[in-house]
Amino acid sequence: MLETLLPILIFTALALAVIGAVRRIRLWRQGRPSRVNLFKGLVALPRRYLVDLHHVVGRDKMISNTHVATAGGFVAAAVLMILVHGLGIANPLLGGLLLLASASMFVGSLFVARRRLNPPARLSKGPWMRLPKSLMAFSISVFLITLPTVGLLPEGLLEGGSSWLLALVLAGVVAWGLGEMFFGMTWGGPMKHAFAGALHLAFHRRAERFSTKKGGAGRSTGLKALNLEDEAAPLGVEKPADFTWNQLLGFDACVQCGRCEAVCPAFAAGQPLNPKKLIQDMVVGMAGGSDAAYAGSPHPSQGLGGKPVGEHAGSPHGPIVALEGKALVDADTLWSCTTCRACVEECPMMIEHVDAIVDMRRYLTLERGKTPNKGAEVLDNLIATDNPGGFDPGSRLNWAADLNLPLMADLKQVDVLLWLGDGAFDMRNQRTLRALVKVLRAAEVDFAVLGTEERDSGDVARRLGDEATFQSLAKRNIATLAQYRFLQIVTCDPHSFHVLGNEYGELGGHYVVRHHSTFIAELYDAGRLTFAPWKGGSVTYHDPCYLGRYNGEYEAPRNVLKALGIEVKEMERSGYRSRCCGGGGGAPITDIPGKQRIPDMRMNDVKESGAELVAVGCPQCTAMLEGVVDASAEVRDIAELVADALVERSADDVTGASRRTTASTTAEEVIV
Amino acid sequence: MAFDAIFEPIEIGKLTIRNRVVSTAHAEVHATDGGMTTERYVRYYEEKAKGGCGLCICGGSSVVSIDSPQGWWSSVNLSTDRIIPHFQNLADAVHKHGGKIMIQITHMGRRSRWDGFDWSTLVSPSGIREPVHRSTCKTIEEEEIWRIVGDFAQAARRAKEGGLDGVELSAVHQHLIDQFWSPRVNKREDEWGGSFENRMRFGMEVLKAVRAEVGNDFCVGMRICGDEFHPDGLSHDDMKQIAAYYDATDMVDFFGVIGSGCDTHNTLANVIPNMSYPPEPFLHLAAGIKEVVNVPVIHAQNIKDPNQAQRILEGGYVDLVGMTRAHIADPHLIAKIKMGQIDQIKQCVGANYCIDRQYQGLDVLCIQNAATSREYMGLPHIIEKTEGVKRKVVVVGGGPGGMEAARVAAERGHDVTLFEAADSLGGQITIAAQAPQRDQIAGITRWFQLELARLKVDLRLGTRADEETLLDLRPDIVVLATGGQPFLSQHPEWGYSENAEESLVVSTWDILSGKVAPGKNVLIYDAICEFSGVSAADFIADKGAKVEIVTDDIKPGAAVGGTTFPTYYRSLYEKEVIMSSDLMLHKVYREGDGLVAVLENEYTGALEERVVDQVVVENGVRPDEALYYALKEQSRNRGQVDLEALYAIQPQPCLSESGDGFLLFRLGDCTAPRNTHAAIYDALRICKDF
Repeated sequence: MLETLLPILIFTALALAVIGAVRRIRLWRQGRPSRVNLFKGLVALPRRYLVDLHHVVGRDKMISNTHVATAGGFVAAAVLMILVHGLGIANPLLGGLLLLASASMFVGSLFVARRRLNPPARLSKGPWMRLPKSLMAFSISVFLITLPTVGLLPEGLLEGGSSWLLALVLAGVVAWGLGEMFFGMTWGGPMKHAFAGALHLAFHRRAERFSTKKGGAGRSTGLKALNLEDEAAPLGVEKPADFTWNQLLGFDACVQCGRCEAVCPAFAAGQPLNPKKLIQDMVVGMAGGSDAAYAGSPHPSQGLGGKPVGEHAGSPHGPIVALEGKALVDADTLWSCTTCRACVEECPMMIEHVDAIVDMRRYLTLERGKTPNKGAEVLDNLIATDNPGGFDPGSRLNWAADLNLPLMADLKQVDVLLWLGDGAFDMRNQRTLRALVKVLRAAEVDFAVLGTEERDSGDVARRLGDEATFQSLAKRNIATLAQYRFLQIVTCDPHSFHVLGNEYGELGGHYVVRHHSTFIAELYDAGRLTFAPWKGGSVTYHDPCYLGRYNGEYEAPRNVLKALGIEVKEMERSGYRSRCCGGGGGAPITDIPGKQRIPDMRMNDVKESGAELVAVGCPQCTAMLEGVVDASAEVRDIAELVADALVERSADDVTGASRRTTASTTAEEVIV
Repeated sequence: MAFDAIFEPIEIGKLTIRNRVVSTAHAEVHATDGGMTTERYVRYYEEKAKGGCGLCICGGSSVVSIDSPQGWWSSVNLSTDRIIPHFQNLADAVHKHGGKIMIQITHMGRRSRWDGFDWSTLVSPSGIREPVHRSTCKTIEEEEIWRIVGDFAQAARRAKEGGLDGVELSAVHQHLIDQFWSPRVNKREDEWGGSFENRMRFGMEVLKAVRAEVGNDFCVGMRICGDEFHPDGLSHDDMKQIAAYYDATDMVDFFGVIGSGCDTHNTLANVIPNMSYPPEPFLHLAAGIKEVVNVPVIHAQNIKDPNQAQRILEGGYVDLVGMTRAHIADPHLIAKIKMGQIDQIKQCVGANYCIDRQYQGLDVLCIQNAATSREYMGLPHIIEKTEGVKRKVVVVGGGPGGMEAARVAAERGHDVTLFEAADSLGGQITIAAQAPQRDQIAGITRWFQLELARLKVDLRLGTRADEETLLDLRPDIVVLATGGQPFLSQHPEWGYSENAEESLVVSTWDILSGKVAPGKNVLIYDAICEFSGVSAADFIADKGAKVEIVTDDIKPGAAVGGTTFPTYYRSLYEKEVIMSSDLMLHKVYREGDGLVAVLENEYTGALEERVVDQVVVENGVRPDEALYYALKEQSRNRGQVDLEALYAIQPQPCLSESGDGFLLFRLGDCTAPRNTHAAIYDALRICKDF
């Protein structure tokens, strides 16, 4: 009886799965086109899965092992099952392997079940709660029906007249397992993640983020330049179908593990953003319907604990954000993001949340002019003055009036172009810049600045969705840079660093860009800087998102601190898990309220590390962290620490001019 | 950006100044050794440059000629090439921190003294006596005019060769150039007087000669007044005409403008407005000059606060603000603005201790910052944390000395507790601030309050510390700054009693603190002649009472400085306070409801009586020594301060000696009555090495 039933069940499930897959693919294909080399992607899939994905998953060994056992067991079992029970190749070897595979899957599913006994808040419940049972149903039933093939059970045991009931029950369990695993995979059950996830890995929109045999993962922006010349081209994403098809595919891959939720600074601050929920909102929108079935933590909401589920709905061609009332997502959810990429870094499915958010912001800003709070003002400032603060562009070099900085316009050709960034207008960051200048001079670096020719890099405009202003700034900066020759750009601003290095390329600007910590580390390694021993207290280091997660530079700043004689007391959240300061993505500008402030949380992390000083490498981080009231630690940029520790070898003064006397010099300003 | 107007660089001539804040020319007095700048001088200006000041104009009234006496205020002597290498040191010290430095050069004409040094014959356009310095002079001759014109040019050359960034010609404060300008002083009928062009001639010849000598690349400015405030002097319109006239030559790179002339005591007080003046009282005069010239205008006078400076600059009234006393109080003013430490700026309160010392020929010092102009001795503006042991420091007394002691000890990183018997900090400053027009003196306390809070000093206000409470804290160091009490018991005939009901006299403290209500007909006997007597007189008269202030000294307020007694006098005369001198308080007795004060003439011995309803006596302070003697024998150092170490700014030797028990130091009025600066200076030099 089973021999008859099993092939029917298996091939029915497979057929239904194929139908489901076609339907699912059609959902994804509602999205805009995206150029992907399908073949190359599929070829790269195993490596992306086994190396890159498992690099992320492997951060939790328990889950990693569980997944290897369960998923590995399932994939093997599924293939073998089709052979053994579907096609009837009752080879004892295959049978034995199938037993092993299903046993492995069963053991894995026990751990899955254990995790579901008392699941953390970040895990979605709902259908996911039945998954361990389904896994067990599948693995146990497959194991049992396979026993006879290796002769461990008499062939006829399940065939006899009295055992038809047993066979029927077994067939029912097999059907349950097949239903979840094959049918559910493409029809929207929890196992959908395997199908969508695999294809998402293969057809990922940012293929350069994956490692290759030649080396580590490449760094890139996820933001693609909009074609502003084409008047018909929509600006940003208004409705789910405005995403590219592989973005939709990516959303569909979500396993709702909530790792993103656990690391999202906006979520922790009680701002109305839960990245997991946002991705699920997109899935809902892609298929059409309401979010009523969502079974995870909602977007936080002030006073309510969370935005009620079931009140938001959408469709592939309906607006994501309603002009009035509610649609799929509220605008404040999109404006809460700091673009810190903590979610992207943690996502085992390699989903790109941040880019999706910026895509949706682009629509709100470019088509609707709905950048909230100070957003519009900042963008107006950028348009009028080329800097977000609206300062007189001619005053960009005011802070250095006494430093006699060499100008690119005069020198035309130097080794290092020092990119100032908009911190040049900020009194706090001016201290960092002065310190950096002092360091460059101490190391006798051949450098110059653009001075008033420099414009904002466009970072804030781009993150606020104003792609037009970004491109305008970027193109003019590129044109300015094109007039000069330099080996590399050095900047103390990780945002400029990222934008110049990773986002100008698409517009024709290709440069070697270095963060000042990297450059200082190189100068030190080359023996061009000498430091006095560190006399201060304990120090921790805060990784800027755009230096660390965006660009993978975790070591250089730490090496500089080490060279200064500082032993870094790491915070619990550091390196790729560093918590954002709250300053990125225009978040301080759009200023969506929550129940606490992100920088306060970060300074609390600092406090918990016991450090008296937090070293930073980003003007934005400095501003955010220093803005914390009653902080327990001092905030200093790495450049400042280095400048303070310099043992000067030349008698040159701060102004760069040679002095007549040989008296030793002190800092240019008392504390600076 | 906040303070963007302050931090906008500006070109003066060919010179770029990094911000809009200037330390304007003033006589340093500590300046020189025979007219040559010293290490002290260099370090004083280097500190300002280090602190971020944009432009320092040093050497107020630095002389170009040997017949303009240099010695009275120890100004810089530019009449000889010997000065050049000294300037090089000065210029290097300022330039290496990104600052710029110029010097004011002048011939003071009649505005000096002749009775010393070379016993010069002072010169002036018409030989008219100058009242402030009681100086007579001769009428200048043509030959002397041309000699002095040439001296100006040579002085400017020396400044240039010394590496300074420019010179400021002083045509203000009634120096020789503006003596020629002012019809009040210039009565000549030759080509150097009379018509506008003739009166302008000397200054024009100086300017032409200087410019010819230094060329166009060197900064040459002029400091002028905005209105002499004399009916027979130069009015604001006259000054606008003069400024425009010189500006039209294109030889002047900037104008500095001071409101008010200063050849009388009363106008002199305007020039360096003390705390009785409103903020920037003469800005309108400088703005008027700016209207008619095409080069940057600098204005200094009561600009003390960064917000005020920003407002003035943003408003476009002038191009640069002088914050000179502000820099004397805190040479790191600019750095603190940049650091976002506005609350940590020690703001000038306009006590004018600096300038009033200067007019006595004493070195310029700050009432509240003992490190200023003592940089060369190693006294720090920024107290470094100790690398040695952390100690428990207990300070008793929240007056200026105690507050400074607590601040310095806390900056060193020690655990500091401060006891103050009153409910608020300040000590005698709190009392002084009660007088009319004297409230700003409380700014000294305000800064300490903020600093002590920032440094987390454990403040025990309203707590009179006794031996037991002190020792319970197991201190390593005890600093006593308990001050004293009014010394009314010196003469029993005054009828002072500790029982307020019985006492025939009250103290100025009683009056100013509000403890005793002022009477209706009051005699104040002031044996001290500093601020408290005249403050009490002003306070009581302000309530509408009849007041006579009597002293056995030469005049009431005789010990109040030259820029401050005039503002007291304005107020006292206006309120019809009678000021009597040469009379000693002989005796006080009760008669009916009233009191009779018997006064004895210092010189004749004749007695006279006043019938009043209240007698207020100011007889200085008697140190409060009780706690000191209670602790002295128990302390490790028996309360002794090592004077050699103290005067040499070296650590007290007992700090490095080990042993049981605590160290005991006392300072301020509880040792001997001196003044605010003395208490703060002692606190700084004792505590900086804790």
